[in-house]
Order: sequence, then C-alpha cells, then structure tokens
Amino acid sequence: MEIEVRNVSKEFVSPKKYPGLKGAVKGLFSNEKVRKMAVEDISFSIEQGEIVGYIGSNGAGKSTTIKMLTGILEPTRGECLVHGINPSKERKKNAQNIGVVFGQRTQLWWDLPLSESFTILKEIYNVSDDEYKAQMKFLNQVLELEEFFTRPVRNLSLGQRMRADLGAALLHNPKVLYLDEPTIGLDLVVKDNIRKAIREINEKYRTTVVLTTHDIEDIEELCSRIIIIDDGRKIYDGSLAELKEKYGVTRKVTMEVKNIKEALQVDLSSLLKVPKEAYQITAEMGTNSVEIAFDKHCLGISEVIAQYMQHTEVRDIQIQETELSEIVKVIYRHGMEQENKQEEGMVS
Amino acid sequence: MKEIKRYARLYKVFVAQFFKYIVQSKVDFLLGLMGFFLTQAAGIAFLYLVFEQIPALADWTLPQLIFIYGFAQIPRGIDHLFTDNIWLVAWNYIVNGQFDRYMLRPMNLFFQVICEKLQPDALGELLVGTILLIVSLSNGVVTIGGTKVLLLVVSMIAGAVIYTSVKLLFASFAFWMKISGPVLYTAYQLADFAKYPTEIYAKGIRFIITWVIPFAFVAYLPASYFLKPQVSPWSTIGVECILAVVGFGIAYGVFYFGTKAYESAGN
Repeated sequence: MEIEVRNVSKEFVSPKKYPGLKGAVKGLFSNEKVRKMAVEDISFSIEQGEIVGYIGSNGAGKSTTIKMLTGILEPTRGECLVHGINPSKERKKNAQNIGVVFGQRTQLWWDLPLSESFTILKEIYNVSDDEYKAQMKFLNQVLELEEFFTRPVRNLSLGQRMRADLGAALLHNPKVLYLDEPTIGLDLVVKDNIRKAIREINEKYRTTVVLTTHDIEDIEELCSRIIIIDDGRKIYDGSLAELKEKYGVTRKVTMEVKNIKEALQVDLSSLLKVPKEAYQITAEMGTNSVEIAFDKHCLGISEVIAQYMQHTEVRDIQIQETELSEIVKVIYRHGMEQENKQEEGMVS
Repeated sequence: MKEIKRYARLYKVFVAQFFKYIVQSKVDFLLGLMGFFLTQAAGIAFLYLVFEQIPALADWTLPQLIFIYGFAQIPRGIDHLFTDNIWLVAWNYIVNGQFDRYMLRPMNLFFQVICEKLQPDALGELLVGTILLIVSLSNGVVTIGGTKVLLLVVSMIAGAVIYTSVKLLFASFAFWMKISGPVLYTAYQLADFAKYPTEIYAKGIRFIITWVIPFAFVAYLPASYFLKPQVSPWSTIGVECILAVVGFGIAYGVFYFGTKAYESAGN
C-alpha cells in the first residue's frame, strides 16, 4: 500500500473576528475561538501505480488533505502513511519520496534561469550525476524543457512554467506525485501535453499519482479511480465507470426529424408501457429536433430510437452519455441537501 | 559528514549565484552599497557633531567611540550578509503560504531559509566596520595581538549569532501571528542603541539591551574589553558567547515549534 490515510481530521482554530472597528477592539479582549473542520474523518488507501483523482468543490478540503500527505500540515487526529512513512513526523524522509506541483504557485526560483533551478534541486535531492543525466533526457523528451532551459523562470509562459514545475517535481524520480490543479489556466494543447507527460511517467516508473482538479477532462483522461470529498468528508470512492453507472442514469437522445409535429405525436408511454415520468421530451422547432432524456434503467436506448424510426422520418441521431461534470454536480447537490436536512432536523 | 558535504555543495551553488548577480547587475549592486555606505557616513558625522559640543561622553573619547561604532558594524554586517532572508519569513512567507516549498524539500528548514539569499548591501557595513577598525588600530586607540586577535574574531562571530537569534526568534512568531514583521523591526531597531556606550542611556533601556535583547553584548561590551585594560574578557566576550549559544538555542526551538504549528494558506 503506497498511501494510507486513517481517520484523518484537520481542524483550524482562529480567533473570532467581529466586524468593524468596534469589533476589532472587542476582538482584542475576547478569547473566543472559531473552529473550522477542514477535513473530517477521512480514510482511504492507494496502491502503487494508481492515478487517483481527488475532487471536490472549492474549500472542500482537497488541498488540506494533500498538505497533510506532503508533511506541510500535521493532522489534528488520525494518521497518514506515505510509502510507510508518516509525513509530519519524518518530513525530510518523506520529502525524498514525493514530488509536488501546485498549479497556482511555482516551486522554482523566480529570478534564476531554469537550468540553475535544476542544478539546485539536484543537490537538494542528492541526485547523482548519472541519474541526473538520464532523468533530464527523459524529462526533455516528455516535457520539452530544452527550448526554454536557459531562461529565467519569471520570463516563462504559464504553460512553460507548468512543464518546468512538473519536471522539477520529477527530477529525483519520486515514488508518489501530488498534483494540485496541474492544468489550471492552460490552453487545450498544453493541457493535453501535460496529461500525456503524466501518463508516460506513470507508465514508465509506476509512479503513484494523486491529482486534484476542477477540470473533468483531467479526470476522464487520467484517472481510473476517483475520490470525491465535500465539506471535509469523503462522499465517494470508487472507479469512474462505477460512478457513471450509479449517478449517470440519465441518457439523452437527440433526433433531427423531417416533421416535428409527427414526431411529437409519438407516445412512448403507451407504446412501451412505461410511466410518463420515466422520460422527458423537449422539442426545438428551429432545428426540427426532439430531445428525449430518460432513465436508462427504465428504457433501452434502442427501443426509444426504434419507436421513432417506425413512426416518423428521422434524419440524424445523437446519443449523449451524462458528462462527469454533471454527475459531480448532482453529487454535490445531493450532499448539500443531506446536510440541509440534518440541520433542519436539529432545529426541530 | 556526508550530510554536511551535501549542505556545503548546495550552499556553494547559491554563493555562485550571488557572485553572478554582482557581476551582472553592477549598477544595482553599487547603488545598494553606496546607500549603506552613506548611512554609515552619516552615523560617523553625527558622532563628530556631538563631540564638537562636548569633549567626552561618559568618559569615552571620540576615537574610542569610533572604534566601538566600527566594531558594532561587523557582526551586524556578517548577520545581514548571510541571513537576510529571515525578514521575508516575518513579512511574507508564512502569511501567503510560500513557506510550503521549504516544507516539501528533504533539507533542514532553517538552512533552506538562509541559504537562498546573500545580501550584497551588507558589504557596505562590513566595509565601513573594517575601515574604522583599521583606522583605530593605526591611531593606537587599541592595540591587539596574539590572543586578542582570536578573541576579536570569536566576539564578531558570537555577535553575528546574537543578531541572527533575535531575527529568528521574532520572525518565528509569524507562525502564530501570520505576520511578525513589525515586531521584528522594532526588536532589530534596538541594535542601534548598542553602537554607543550603554552608560549614556536610562536604566530601563540599559537593562533591556543588556539582558532582554542583548545587543549590548554584540558591540559595546566586547569592544570595551579591547579599550580598557581593567575589563575582563570573561564578563564581556565570555558572556557574549554564552548568550549567543543560549539565544540561538531558544530562537531555534521557537522556530522549530513554529514549523509544527504552520498552517499554510488557502489557494
């Protein structure tokens, strides 16, 4: 087991603040504290070589978890083990095993040429000359660092900087790679390159990757498994396919027809003997198309299409699977509703 | 041993960067140096002006005060040259979460903080200090030789460590306060009192700069050992060394516990 997280919680305590100048004076004399649970009782484990997407809305506790796994923060309760090492107890030993990229903040030396940053990192991570040469060759292949290797970091474009940061995190060939929003603000081509690089590194060294992102495509292209957290709690842990199976039950078929009125007369409920609530039809007069959204457990896609083909002339068919982003939205909403219910329950 | 070599190799990389910077940005470097040089010159001019009005200050003559003044510059300069980055811990690194990157690397945190920057401006202080010491020696205000040379070097190093300890201690408060720059600045300013004999100050100030934030032991007290034969080296340079060791121990301890309490910053 490469990463083990056992019942980890992180609580931040800060002095209570009151609004306004009066409040500021009041705050000076009060001893009240505000406690915020950033992460609450989270457990999971990750095998070597897995690429795991760690997702959640802003402030859900993603970065806090990553910071506990990297040794920056000490858990208030519970324990993490990364490659058998407790990161907050043996920070230095853990640091040798991990690579970290924070998408919004560079780890490189702003004023130095990139080449110097790598020289420094070579010393910091105690990389031998031979290892350095070999690893640089590989990193140049996948990240193409050569084209801007001698430029100061502050002069790099965002895409170049991200490639540089990823390279810097990988120089010592870490066992675990943490990526906190690695594709934020990048254009499509660069995003694609970064993803490709992550995949190649994972395949070549069996590097374990933990990735937080808001970009659903990152997840779809890279992760076989995802963990979703909301408001500090884990609300889903499993494969992407399973998630789609469980929450992505709505299918959509859009058909362009010759005669829209004729198409609208097709009555699926009586033809297929299903309740009317099982599907929803919206028509668009301008493009002569009807969109049928239905629960895939009640209706088969072929049945629906077959009925329309029989009763009207269909020119074009489009089938859409629910996108992950929509599933995530559903889950968030679900989580929030549950919480609201709990709160209401407490009030009454 | 292998560890030490590794740290030394890393430090060499940053020293090389420092020289590169000096060679590449001559104008910046010279302007910074000039600025500090002028500040020092103003300080000495002030001494001359004071002595135009009064012949002696608490039994000290002008050449002796110039020696003390010069003596004070060197430990300050050494500390300024090597550990200037501590200021950024107090002002920026904690509050905006930049301290994260140190936590992510397999090296000592204090070493990482100080190795990143050598401050060229400090050369102005070192230069003025050295010139004033040479002037004092050639004037015959002080005579040193043999063990006194050794004690001079020891005192300068211990003095620099006291400076570093004060900076590190107050900067470490940032781990709890988020920004401790103003507190650090106030503490650091007290060092200005130590450029002159502490006898000229009120009791309260004298107590603070001798025993609370011991800047008196950085300059005036050890310098008086070289100026007055009746002063014992143990009660001056000896105590200075003890304060340096104890002070650094305390400051490093607070820094260490600070890193455990570090809360980073949200994105």
